[in-house]
Amino acid sequence: MSFRVCRTCGGADIDVDQARGSAVCTGCGSVLEDNIIVSEVQFVEGSGGVSSAVGQFVSADGPVKAPLLGSGFHTSVGKESRAQTLQSGKRQIQQLGSQLQLNQHCLDTAFNFFKMVVSKHLTRGRKTEHVIAACLYLVCRTEGTPHMLLDLSDLLQVNVYILGKTFLLLARELCINAPAIDPCLYIPRFAHMLEFGVKTHEVSMTALRLVQRMKRDWMHTGRRPSGLCGAALLVAARMHKFRRTVKDVISVVKVCQTTLRKRLTEFEDTPTSQLTIDEFMRVDLEQECDPPSFIAAQNKAKMQQLEQELARKLDEVEGEISCYKDEIETELEKSRPKLRGIYAAYTKEIGEYRSNVCPSPQKLSREVEDAELQAATQHLTQDFLCQVIQEEEEEGRANKTGDGEQEVGPEKEGVGPQRQVAPLAVILGKLPSSLDLQQTFQTFICCCSTDEDSESGELDLEGIDDQEIEKYILNDNEVQVKTELWMKQNAEYLKEQQEKEERIRKEKEQGTYKEKKKKKSKRKEQIEALTAGEAIEKMLEKKKISSKINYDVLRDLNSRGTGSGGGSSPSRASSDPPDPNNTNTTTRKRLNRRRRKKTSEANQDLVTNASIMGKRFRRLISSTSKKKKTAPQVSNHSTCPHLSPPDSTCFHLPLPDST
Amino acid sequence: MDSSNDEALDIIVTNVVATFRTRCHLNLRTIALEGTNVIYKPEVGKVLMKLRKPMITASIWSSGKIICTGATSEDEAKLGARRLARCLQKLGFKVRFSAFKVVNVLAVCSMPFAVHLIDFTKNNRPIASYEPELHPAATYRIKNLKATIQVFSTGSLTVTGPNVQNVATAVEQVYPLLFECQKPLCK
Repeated sequence: MSFRVCRTCGGADIDVDQARGSAVCTGCGSVLEDNIIVSEVQFVEGSGGVSSAVGQFVSADGPVKAPLLGSGFHTSVGKESRAQTLQSGKRQIQQLGSQLQLNQHCLDTAFNFFKMVVSKHLTRGRKTEHVIAACLYLVCRTEGTPHMLLDLSDLLQVNVYILGKTFLLLARELCINAPAIDPCLYIPRFAHMLEFGVKTHEVSMTALRLVQRMKRDWMHTGRRPSGLCGAALLVAARMHKFRRTVKDVISVVKVCQTTLRKRLTEFEDTPTSQLTIDEFMRVDLEQECDPPSFIAAQNKAKMQQLEQELARKLDEVEGEISCYKDEIETELEKSRPKLRGIYAAYTKEIGEYRSNVCPSPQKLSREVEDAELQAATQHLTQDFLCQVIQEEEEEGRANKTGDGEQEVGPEKEGVGPQRQVAPLAVILGKLPSSLDLQQTFQTFICCCSTDEDSESGELDLEGIDDQEIEKYILNDNEVQVKTELWMKQNAEYLKEQQEKEERIRKEKEQGTYKEKKKKKSKRKEQIEALTAGEAIEKMLEKKKISSKINYDVLRDLNSRGTGSGGGSSPSRASSDPPDPNNTNTTTRKRLNRRRRKKTSEANQDLVTNASIMGKRFRRLISSTSKKKKTAPQVSNHSTCPHLSPPDSTCFHLPLPDST
Repeated sequence: MDSSNDEALDIIVTNVVATFRTRCHLNLRTIALEGTNVIYKPEVGKVLMKLRKPMITASIWSSGKIICTGATSEDEAKLGARRLARCLQKLGFKVRFSAFKVVNVLAVCSMPFAVHLIDFTKNNRPIASYEPELHPAATYRIKNLKATIQVFSTGSLTVTGPNVQNVATAVEQVYPLLFECQKPLCK
């Protein structure tokens, strides 16, 4: 450290005291330096006891201008837009990240992601909040912290699917492969929240084993990991004799009761659930299960198959039974003494009555059915539909004889025809949808060839039934009724529209009609001007007025130069009501009061000044214009008194260079 | 077309979306008042018209652009669109049928095996994505075909693409990938 020599004694032994900031020669004791600028790092305690270093990071690729020391302007004027975006993004990341208790490394990574996102212009059209949340979640996933997207959406009060959409998009664009969520990650966090006290660790371990078992049993694909964790924790808690109800668990895990119950039932179906607690801790079953939805689908398929088989069997049985029935009846008829005469009539009645009582409803309904079916077949002219109906008919009959078989238990007539109608509708519905692909290709190719008419715009009326289309259009009476109804229904909307129109009309009359053009894209029109002055005038009108121009100076220029503008501008300043001549209010709306005073006339004055005072104008338009403000004033002052007193020999007025 | 395996895979087209233009300005109020099966939404600025024969729903804007949804095949969509244009013609507008284009086709398909979604996502990293917190299916996007396939763990697929051929090709493309990550049934 001693790279200096003492001035007084020439000794090279200099003691630098960092605390006091002084350099002292140990030989003679003279103080060589006082108040040394120390380049040590200082620490400050922040909120929550976190100590952080004092200082700013200056990035190498940041703005070139040095940050203003002392009091700059209250808004950061000197920075570019990109730096501002990054700065505000960083601030928001810090804020959100500290709420999630993420460490600084994660926050820095998140900020890096954010920088990448901004450089790829992915923030456009998206709320910064969403983008930042997505960046943070990306970090959580890559680091493997137990934070869920739900937590973030809770903090921001934003729909989780919207955040998810943004997150997926960012992950895709940045080509970041977030590893899949493992439910095991969430277990310690939830266990902690459930307050198991000393035994938290054991319960977590048990729950982990359960989750792993669930994974092997294929319960976790396609499911929210938090639901699985909830179920596992509930079981683990009960295993360790903690009374945690379903409600406790769902308040922590954020799934609903139904989901939790469902997971528990699914777990119940696996063979692991049959083990006792000790067995479970020791043994791991080899067998793996199928996913529960798969099992459900399989069950359904099995049920359908069973139904079909039973129907077929019933068919056969029915056939036999009807044979036997007929035979028995014929035998009975033969064996029964035949009554003649008036009694014959009675037997018929009795016969009917008997048939009504015993397998009767079938006969009657069968007759009714037949009639209905015939009518139905008359309507449907296609052959193979007829066949299907016959099959259904038999099935219907078969089902009816079956006692307590399937759905068609009670032999009511209402049920019969309905059941007939339903399968028909099903048939009709199924047919068009399960088209063979080859068929569609052929038809599509045929369609393609008739595509020329689309260019001409002519409507190809082939295959369109005009009559049918007529049905779609109401006749006059109906139109009237509908008009009334619609008017009544939408009375509010119509009122609003009318009010709006009246307002616009009034404003037009008054001439204050602010035509709110719906935002068309601003095409930069080419400024056509004859002279440079005109061009500048138009440019000043169009461009947003910059904060770097000192308008006072320009106005003063104008006033001193022409002598008339000075009088006119204050008068204009006093009268503030909107000018009828003022056509540029739209562009000026955003400007503050001072600038609004500048009307087109003022522009013209400025322009004339500009064209007259070539260089001087340029010199004035700079941020340091305040200094130069005095120059023209002085020059102006100097010209006037120069004229009046003739004896000015001893009077040397500083004439500035007025070129 | 899907003869990459022994048993044929049934690809069932469930929805076709098509657009066309009538090249003339349409007065929505007239349509709303004089047509059956119409719903007028003045706030949004469109009329929903439902046809029965090809079961389709059409959104009609006053600029003359019409979106037709609910058809089950491409030619059905075209037929429905033509019907609709004819209906508008009868209502008195000078309708011309132009720029008919099928925009989206949705089809479902079922694999005979279950799929391990996490493995599938790992093998096809940037193209496939799986977020169980958001959606139970893994999404596989094929860029050159512009098709999106959603794979569920049961093995059923939902495919969306610009036309039926793309959809079939997409299924063919994805089949071998799914086959690798299949979960053999044990019961």
